[in-house]
Amino acid sequence: MNFDLDDEQRDLAASARDFLASSASPAVARAALDADHPAAAALAPGRDALVASGFATITVPESAGGGGGSLLDLAVVAEQAGRVLAGPSLITFARAAVLLAGDDERLARLVDGSLRVAVVDGTGPVLDAASADTFLTLRGDDLVCGPGAVDVRAPIDPTRGLGQVVLGDVEVLAPDARLRWEHAERVGRVVLAAEDLGAAGRALEIGVAYARERQAFGRAIGSYQAVKHALVDVYVQVEQLRSLVWWAAWAADQADDKLPMAAAAAKAAAATTLTTAAETLIQVHGGIGFTWEHDAHLYWRRAKVDRFLLGDDVAAYDEVARLAIAQALAGDGPSAEAGASAEAAVAAR
Amino acid sequence: MDFDDTPDEAAWRAKVRAFIEEHREELGRRGDEQRFDDRVARARQALLYDGGLVGVTWPVEAGGQGGTPMQQAIVDQELARAEVPGLINLIGIGMCGPTVIHHGSPEQHRRYLKRLLRADDVWCQLFSEPASGSDLAALRTRAVRTEDGSWRISGQKVWTTLAHLADHGIVLTRTDPDVAKHRGLTMFVVDMKAPGVTVRPLRQMSGGADFNEVFFDDVVVPDEERLGDVGDGWRVALTTLMSERLSLGGGGTEIGVGSAAIAEHVARHVGDLSADRQALVRQELGRAYVDSLGTRYTGYRQLSAISRGDLPGPEASAGKLAGTRSARDLADLAVRVLGEHAAYAVGPSGSSTWQDLQAVLPGMAIAGGTDQVLRNVIGERVLGLPPEPRADKGVTFRESLAAAGA
Repeated sequence: MNFDLDDEQRDLAASARDFLASSASPAVARAALDADHPAAAALAPGRDALVASGFATITVPESAGGGGGSLLDLAVVAEQAGRVLAGPSLITFARAAVLLAGDDERLARLVDGSLRVAVVDGTGPVLDAASADTFLTLRGDDLVCGPGAVDVRAPIDPTRGLGQVVLGDVEVLAPDARLRWEHAERVGRVVLAAEDLGAAGRALEIGVAYARERQAFGRAIGSYQAVKHALVDVYVQVEQLRSLVWWAAWAADQADDKLPMAAAAAKAAAATTLTTAAETLIQVHGGIGFTWEHDAHLYWRRAKVDRFLLGDDVAAYDEVARLAIAQALAGDGPSAEAGASAEAAVAAR
Repeated sequence: MDFDDTPDEAAWRAKVRAFIEEHREELGRRGDEQRFDDRVARARQALLYDGGLVGVTWPVEAGGQGGTPMQQAIVDQELARAEVPGLINLIGIGMCGPTVIHHGSPEQHRRYLKRLLRADDVWCQLFSEPASGSDLAALRTRAVRTEDGSWRISGQKVWTTLAHLADHGIVLTRTDPDVAKHRGLTMFVVDMKAPGVTVRPLRQMSGGADFNEVFFDDVVVPDEERLGDVGDGWRVALTTLMSERLSLGGGGTEIGVGSAAIAEHVARHVGDLSADRQALVRQELGRAYVDSLGTRYTGYRQLSAISRGDLPGPEASAGKLAGTRSARDLADLAVRVLGEHAAYAVGPSGSSTWQDLQAVLPGMAIAGGTDQVLRNVIGERVLGLPPEPRADKGVTFRESLAAAGA
């Protein structure tokens, strides 16, 4: 068993961190909120720089000019993007890469930045609509593509670029594309969970650093169990989320049959974990924690928006339960796995 | 990244599995026995020992296999998978034996270790006391040296698993109350059948009686049974507790109940509920199931570290912390879906599986390190938060007792 990142992925994380942290930060997110038109404010690193870095299109095949990497590679980068509240989201690029698979012409334009795309789910808010002019959506069972009119509204989290989209004339890219659409949605959930993992992990770090410094009643507040245990509970959740993100990304790359459960579990855990991490971050900081100047609310804003992306957390928990029940009724759940491995042996319990 | 065995691990797993298959009926199954019979349990462990599946990580000269923690983890997984009941001498193997190996004399090694692995002798660990649970070093059981060099032990231990069956135990005692509490301790091997040892069963809230209180009334222990130096008992005890963490093997075992088993149970009953209640139950199942998946896959990360040859660190405490929580959530749900039978201890079919489990799990959040102690360990040793203040720092044990009005 080797359920861990490899050295190349650790190097990838380090270089992604250098690139993303050199431009994106909570301060940029706050500046966007302070702008005259927050929804239209510049994101960091922004669509052009993110595409130029090559990180956005890691999962696009090399034949189309992309990185030819795995979803796990992209998840490693997405964690770093989440730490600094970067925008636009890697979710958008990951979904587009799946939806446009085989369409090397459009994929090449995704890679060179001339295709500024966002993905539309029903009539809800569209992630990264503010920086897009071309939209992918499912109409009936057809995958369609076309321009759209974007109405950006006052954002809770300005880094998500949300807007309402009214599509113009669309062309059908692929008929009978529902399975591909659902796969892309699950891939998107994995990347969402990875970005939230980064945000939650960073929120924990900020909280721990403050708890070590801040004195009250003659000693550091982190020595009090009330504060210490709250931070530990976040740590445990963050590490569990990390495990689920890695598992879900691995499933997308290598074990498609496990992806529905893994992606739903990662999505659900991400929503719960980032909410807890952001609330704990505010609480540990006391009075300074709910000021506009402090970074805490920028992570909290991310939590309050991300829980609704790609289906809300309630829907994701319901999907996990439905899948678990269906597996049990079909008798092909983990308990029926016959494989000779630690995973099969433990899952059998 | 992969979830596969290495070729060596796969070969070992095949060997373990073949042994279990060959002795399938002799090994028995969990829940088969109406009453626990220690002779059956001893025979089972002896059979497994003779097959090379007990004491896998112990040195060969101590009677073990000289194997790796990963090999031990594979044995644990396969025994659990085959529903073979747990080893009777688990505490002996995981805690007492390693302490004897590290701190005992060659004579003690010869006398005790192989018999422990075969369950010819059953061992218990006598650490906790009525007035010292999490604060172990505050223990009060005294050992006083006599003129002939032997020791006399008096005091009370508690929560002692298997004391009523045990042949030997390791006992942590206070030999000097006039130094700081961690300094005045000494460890011994004690004969549980010696005059002056009284064992009384303790009944748990679940109705079971797996552990005991043990009274020592001037029990004579020869100096040859001392483990480590006089006054060095705390360091010796740390060996015991460290071995416990290693013996548990980290990786991916679930506490109390498997999420697959619970999903099957819920799947069988959820259809009996109204549509509204089904939706509510699915929310509960989804949340507990996600938590149990998170715990399981975090365990796989620890198992991967063990497979590489690394030792589990303090972060391994997170698995127990999270596992006891999700196990309780799953058990609560399992009882809930029994509907109008959920408030009774036994269902109409005579089954009480889930009610019994529900009553066992609160104790799991206390035994082997309370949730609160585990949070302190993670907070201080993983996150680097400042330590708890200690009111008994820099004073002798006698002074701290006086200050507490004891």
